[in-house]
Amino acid sequence: MTDENHTVDAIPAYLDGQLSPKEAERLERHLQTCESCMKELQAYRSLFNAIDEDTDPVPTPTLRNTFFAQLAAEKETEGTVSILPMPRQKPKAWGNRIWKVAASVLLLLGAYGIGSYQQRTSAAREIALLKQEELQAKQSAMLSLMENTSASKRIQGVAYIEAFEKPDADIVRALILRMQQDENTNVRLTALEALSHFGKMPLVKTAYIDALAMEKNPTIQIALIQHLVQLQEKKAIAPMKALLKKEETQPFIKEQIKKGLPQLL
Amino acid sequence: MNTNGKLLKEPTNEDLMRQVANGALDQLKVLFERHHAHVYRFLYKMCRDKMLSEDLAQEVFYKVMKYRGSYNNGNFVSWLFAIARNSLHSHFKKNGAPTEDIDTVGYRLAASAAHEEDYSHLQRALDRLAPSDKELIILNRFQEIRYAELALIVGSTEGAVKTKVSRALKKLKGFYFEAL
Repeated sequence: MTDENHTVDAIPAYLDGQLSPKEAERLERHLQTCESCMKELQAYRSLFNAIDEDTDPVPTPTLRNTFFAQLAAEKETEGTVSILPMPRQKPKAWGNRIWKVAASVLLLLGAYGIGSYQQRTSAAREIALLKQEELQAKQSAMLSLMENTSASKRIQGVAYIEAFEKPDADIVRALILRMQQDENTNVRLTALEALSHFGKMPLVKTAYIDALAMEKNPTIQIALIQHLVQLQEKKAIAPMKALLKKEETQPFIKEQIKKGLPQLL
Repeated sequence: MNTNGKLLKEPTNEDLMRQVANGALDQLKVLFERHHAHVYRFLYKMCRDKMLSEDLAQEVFYKVMKYRGSYNNGNFVSWLFAIARNSLHSHFKKNGAPTEDIDTVGYRLAASAAHEEDYSHLQRALDRLAPSDKELIILNRFQEIRYAELALIVGSTEGAVKTKVSRALKKLKGFYFEAL
């Protein structure tokens, strides 16, 4: 390395203001006498200017909307999880009199409840009819979104599942198809999470097990393992063991399996 | 209290991400607003495909949300871009390298020549770099990510990254002025 080379290499750092005052001064002195280094400096300067002025397209609002929708969905599932393990209050040794008061309050509330219930049921039946139609519209919107060529649209379609309290088998099957076959990892992952609401269905459990055998993406593999362990699905033991034996399985996946397996056995 | 005019200090990325990991999911909106344009731009510069960049950027933030539990209190930007980079790599691994047939290249060169001169020169020069060099240049020069964080992203040391960036920059300069 000659001294010359050293100077040239310091030029980008000099332009970025990263040299010490001493180094900068030495370089400046050199530049006054060396034409080739001066040219080099000008070249870097115009390259850096071009980089500073470079502009790129910005993402469409879909990016934000979809992510915020995913976030809202995630918060909802979080919410249900944290509400479930409510500690039940232990009955205290209450006095006899309090029981009597409680009983009369209950009686009063009960009588009111029956009256208003009768009024409500007829209205509820009409609303249910209306909802039925709305549900069908939602269902077809969801199914067609899931077929869209843009992955973010397909995710929107999958996330639409939140609109259904009790989706029918067609919807669940469409979600399974997305989870197992979609080319986009994110769509597969969203479908997987959406399906976890219906983990009790044998259809979904089988789909998870099938996906575990096919899936190559580690992120999704991990999610599948976690869900299967949570569902206590014993049939998952065999495919998990198979993954453990495979050489190409990522080490952290194997770790996840080793952690999960004992919970299933 | 700060008396020197500084009012409330903005929470750092790391503060926010820690809160997210502890269940304050709404803080992810702040992190999204701060960083989504950068993530998108990095992806777009790498693949030059708007739709794909948007889908991948989506995937990146989804992963941040889903795997918030595995955030290890490290530098957030490094973590975020490491995820972005992985998503991009696995996409190309699955769908083949971002090769183009000669027709597309011809079309693109013609199209860019017709547009802003400077932009096309720079982008063309960038595209001639090896993907690993291009990635370093984009992260370091376009996103202004410092060497220490860059080293965390690509899994290397600060010194090695510094040398690589400087070499890549030299190559880029060569291509840039060759094209002029």
